[in-house]
Amino acid sequence: MRTIHYKIKRFDGKREWYQDYQLQYEKGKTILWALTAIREQLDPTLVFTSACRHAICGSCAIKVNGKSFLACKTSLDEVLETFKSDYLVFEPLSNFEVIKDLAIAWEPKMEKMKQVKPWLIPSNKGSVERGFIQSEDDFHEISSPTDCILCGVCTSECNQLAVNDGTYLDPFILNRAYRFSVDSRDCAPEEHIRPVYENELWKCIHCMQCISSCPKGIPLTDEIAYLRQESIKMGEVNNQGAKHAFAFYDDVRNKGRLNETMLPIKTDGLLKTATTKIPFALRMIKKGKINPFHMPKAIEGIKGVKEIYKYAEEVKHS
Amino acid sequence: MRYAFFPGCTLESAAEELMISTMKVAEALGIELIELKGWTCCGASHIQDIDDFLATSINARNIALGEKLGVSKIITVCNTCTLMLRTAKAKLDKNKKLRTRVNESLRSTGMQYKGNVEVTHLLWALIEDYGLDRLKEKVKRPLTGLKVANFYGCHILMPPKIMGFENHMNPQSMEMIAEVLGAESVKFDQRLACCGFHAVFPAEKEVMNLTGMNCLSPKASGADCLITPCPLCQMQLDAYQPDAQKGFSKDITMPVLHLPQLIGLALGFSPQELAIQRHVVDAIPVLTENVLV
Repeated sequence: MRTIHYKIKRFDGKREWYQDYQLQYEKGKTILWALTAIREQLDPTLVFTSACRHAICGSCAIKVNGKSFLACKTSLDEVLETFKSDYLVFEPLSNFEVIKDLAIAWEPKMEKMKQVKPWLIPSNKGSVERGFIQSEDDFHEISSPTDCILCGVCTSECNQLAVNDGTYLDPFILNRAYRFSVDSRDCAPEEHIRPVYENELWKCIHCMQCISSCPKGIPLTDEIAYLRQESIKMGEVNNQGAKHAFAFYDDVRNKGRLNETMLPIKTDGLLKTATTKIPFALRMIKKGKINPFHMPKAIEGIKGVKEIYKYAEEVKHS
Repeated sequence: MRYAFFPGCTLESAAEELMISTMKVAEALGIELIELKGWTCCGASHIQDIDDFLATSINARNIALGEKLGVSKIITVCNTCTLMLRTAKAKLDKNKKLRTRVNESLRSTGMQYKGNVEVTHLLWALIEDYGLDRLKEKVKRPLTGLKVANFYGCHILMPPKIMGFENHMNPQSMEMIAEVLGAESVKFDQRLACCGFHAVFPAEKEVMNLTGMNCLSPKASGADCLITPCPLCQMQLDAYQPDAQKGFSKDITMPVLHLPQLIGLALGFSPQELAIQRHVVDAIPVLTENVLV
């Protein structure tokens, strides 16, 4: 008989420990089945949250062997196959406060989410009497972001949140801001986007964890790109993130390739670069990694590249 | 074996050693790399934050340059270049309307995106095209005793819908290569961590913290050096290591090699031939001690 070994992180409010459980293998089960079986058959003191069992309520996400999953939607067989092991470690989601065992606190996250005004700010095109009618195409703009079930998997996997002081907004909060800012019935997208910009929008590292782990397949990183584009349109260009992106954008248009020597200066300005990046620059020069006198020549076909830029400008304004 | 080669910007300056070692390794393995004429920067995961249509268009042009060469694959040695090119390709292959517009944009260049070449990375090509058995036959100096920490970097794994070479939650390709070369892969917590490179300016404090953890974790597992298939991870973990050290009381020193440099060592090249002396954290002592005797 095949036995699956579960090591579960416990927490009673003061003390943390790992506890071992074993269940006989059964085919075609889910992670939530394992949690429920452990609680019902082995240890009634184990605390975890769950409700709908159909990937709708978003309450049962946990970490398994370091990766975050929605327990009811995740096949145990797939997890065993992924990790090529019959030993599984269950832990609460990362980047959340833990209440007990696998149960995490959502209240602080909800408070944080209020900053982006996660509600519709209606335009005067609609009214309670007339309704707030939306075309099918307009609905499709919000159909994917409204799939979010607030399960917290994206937050748990976010590499910026793992090292951030808590200011940076969780991916599901960015999604909420996106969802209302693109809603045709909303008249104040800036009210959703400005708080996003002001809470370290440019600190997203582009690690792709959120888009890769979302159980609903929401294109979170595309949404973050959109929020950044909109913040630029709002005039927020005088920051390291936007200046860094423009350094690439301008270099490709002018020469086709990045000028690495000039990149810090374009991002941080001459003064800050001179005061903070000197040791870095010296060690790079010493190893031949930066040649301060090397200026890349324009690539073959740069004229065509400039035409591509012109075309993209026209598309943007059409 | 012939590939259209997309080097990417870092190989021309900060990671010139990756260009040198890639060329050495390719030649020794009998892999022909034809550099694309007139390639541009892939956008480095930044240009889409200003204009996503433009980001797709410039990479459509890069891919079209490869299509003109009549090869079946474009090859890169950078995770982010691979992701940027594959992202553009996935969008263009899926969305006909977008492809028509992008091709209109390319008209002035006399090129067209057709969608008939694949985009791969050297790590993948060695496994699926070249073959591990064949690679093993070429090993002249097995790296016996060398303990390596394989640091994948995010963009060679995710998003899986676009990358998808292997399970992003538990990849094995780097371990497979290390095994063939005779090296021992160590287990360490940060194996699939993010290097932080793409936010090193706006999130310097956080990224330096990541860098320190990414060095300490393999060190605690007894690794001699860290290996990465991405020049951006390499730059973050190596060139910024002295800056990251300032935030840690423990010594975080960890030499960081490019994947082709590790392969090159097993093929019999000297560290100098692979330009390993260009790294900020000196990797040569640990290599001398373990494999160069």
